[in-house]
Amino acid sequence: MTHTPALTRRRLLAGAATLTTAAALPGLLRAQSEPEKPAEIIVRAWGGVWVDSLKTGVSDPFTAATGIAVRHDLTEDNEIKPRIWAAVDQGRVPPIHINWDTTANATSSALRGACEDLSDLPNLATVLPLARPIGLDGVPIVNTYAYVYVLAYRPEAFPDGAPISWQVLLDPRFKGRIALYNDGIGFHPSAQIAGGGTLAGIPDDMEPCWDFIGRLKVQEPLLGEDPDFTAWFQNGEIDVACTISSNAREAKRNGVDVAWTVPTEGAKVDTDGMWIPKGLPENELYWAKQYINFALSTEAQQVWLDGLGLPGVAPGLTPPADLVGDPSFPTTEADFAKLLLVAPRIQAEHTADWFARFKDIMQG
Amino acid sequence: MKPDGARSALRVGRPSRAAYPLSWRALDAAEALVALWPDRWSGAVKWLFLAPALLIVGFLLWGLGVMADASLREMDFSTYRLTDERSLANFAKASGSAAFWATARRSLLAALIVTAICLILAFPYAYAMTRTRSAALRKLLLIGLFLPFFIGQVVRAYGWLILLGQQGLVNDALGTLGLGPYRMLFSYPAVLFGLVQYMLPFAVLMLAPALAAVPEEVERAAESCGAAWPRVLRHVVIPMARPGLIAAALVVSTLTLTDFAMPAIMGGGGADFLANLVYDQFFRTSDAGLGSAITLILTLLGTTVAGVLLAFAGASALGVRSAR
Repeated sequence: MTHTPALTRRRLLAGAATLTTAAALPGLLRAQSEPEKPAEIIVRAWGGVWVDSLKTGVSDPFTAATGIAVRHDLTEDNEIKPRIWAAVDQGRVPPIHINWDTTANATSSALRGACEDLSDLPNLATVLPLARPIGLDGVPIVNTYAYVYVLAYRPEAFPDGAPISWQVLLDPRFKGRIALYNDGIGFHPSAQIAGGGTLAGIPDDMEPCWDFIGRLKVQEPLLGEDPDFTAWFQNGEIDVACTISSNAREAKRNGVDVAWTVPTEGAKVDTDGMWIPKGLPENELYWAKQYINFALSTEAQQVWLDGLGLPGVAPGLTPPADLVGDPSFPTTEADFAKLLLVAPRIQAEHTADWFARFKDIMQG
Repeated sequence: MKPDGARSALRVGRPSRAAYPLSWRALDAAEALVALWPDRWSGAVKWLFLAPALLIVGFLLWGLGVMADASLREMDFSTYRLTDERSLANFAKASGSAAFWATARRSLLAALIVTAICLILAFPYAYAMTRTRSAALRKLLLIGLFLPFFIGQVVRAYGWLILLGQQGLVNDALGTLGLGPYRMLFSYPAVLFGLVQYMLPFAVLMLAPALAAVPEEVERAAESCGAAWPRVLRHVVIPMARPGLIAAALVVSTLTLTDFAMPAIMGGGGADFLANLVYDQFFRTSDAGLGSAITLILTLLGTTVAGVLLAFAGASALGVRSAR
């Protein structure tokens, strides 16, 4: 007996995207004289569901349309950054063509002057304003989608219903069973509000945030990174965590009983983006730009972000069925207004200070 | 015509070069090369032998020099570049940080505890391995010693996560007795446990040659003079195995002091060592200046630990002849 793969929505969309790209991309490119194609372009990506979605939604259709292979480099975004910076400073060809990066992290590269300008991408004219970085000269980064640091929890630990406030993290019954990112990322605005402060107090008056995190230390939180959260939920190590909704959704898809919510105080919304390091040969720069341009298209975003469960920047995307109406999947201005946004430049300029303060509390 | 016996004797007296072991032939070739070396340059031969070591040390010192320079420059977070001006600001920032002192204290204490436990556990293991009359037991102990080296530190740490997790094998077993589950991971003791398991083979490996070099006859002689085994151990074996004990202590303490993976995996983010703090500065905040400053402090700490050990035991404890 053989198993015929089911025609899932994602598979259908992926096939449609490939066909659409094959039809649309050459037309787009013929508008300019087409430089020599490189054998491959290298895109740095995160592993697991992240790279799988990118491959299905963007890389494979791009290869089908152009014949250029796409190699995914799974080096951590933090670890590839100094290598890129060194290559740019020394006038060498950088180790990758495209860095898929958090916008805050990418902003540090933009401030250093390591990014190519992307303002000539044709699809920038049609995407939502969210795609353009705030507070930077030109367009050194293109934001590709938004995501929310939700309060993820095991429903079994909350028999009376979903938690409604970040204050639940201080509940003594969850001592040793809560988790945060090990650099505090994604939690500062929520802690600021939960600690009695205001979003406007960031970055100049963040004592409410540090006070709340200080009280949280008594709860002995586990501190980890994206894969840790999924594993910890799966292994019954934690009951509640502040993590990106995609991680919670992936754990749920893997059969772990996890749910998530945006508490009344709100939750931090952030963006990821793509950028191209300086120093590429002209023809490779051209095709790297075409890759990002395609990543902004509706057909690519529909498949890519369907896999991640995140709201994109292309107009007219259809939310995945399981996320319709979910507050962690903002699509309108009213949805975004309920979330907590800190400008990437403020984040980039204060990351080190916030990190040091978080470490002093958690390690001290 | 010579009789067969004579031809045979000649063959025995001068076999073909291929009959010699490869290592002999390699040494012959090396000698032939040395013979080409002019006599007046013979004084340089020792430096030639030292050249690879000097090259490696040179690279290390060069790297330290680059770090020392970076440690004196602050990061400007509006451009993400180190400033041109030099100051001790990064060292001041590190010394004013609660996280720095906590991780330094944790690293040093771990070096002390893990070294002590490893020496206590490694000594009987190495002693049994070198003294046993049973070939089977010796093989078993050797396999036990070398097998962990084939498994990386990260894999071993993840192995402990599987065994000691809330839904791990140990808690499962306890559950059948109506106990637990207990949190056995993600704490400082869990990190120490993982480090002991990781460092123990290193300690045995350093101790075994030293114990093998202690002649059994000396022990027999002491026993024949009326010394009970504990007294032989205290007054004969341990003093004679001192070079191995000091070497094991040096290796285990410095590796523990600078360890990164075990605190990262088994500490749950709340039991970081100095190496984790260094990683954070270089890769999370991109502050190469502060990262370099903490790296230099960590290097100084490691050197101090090694220096204190050698000062306590004397360089001769490692079997190295003192300068006259």
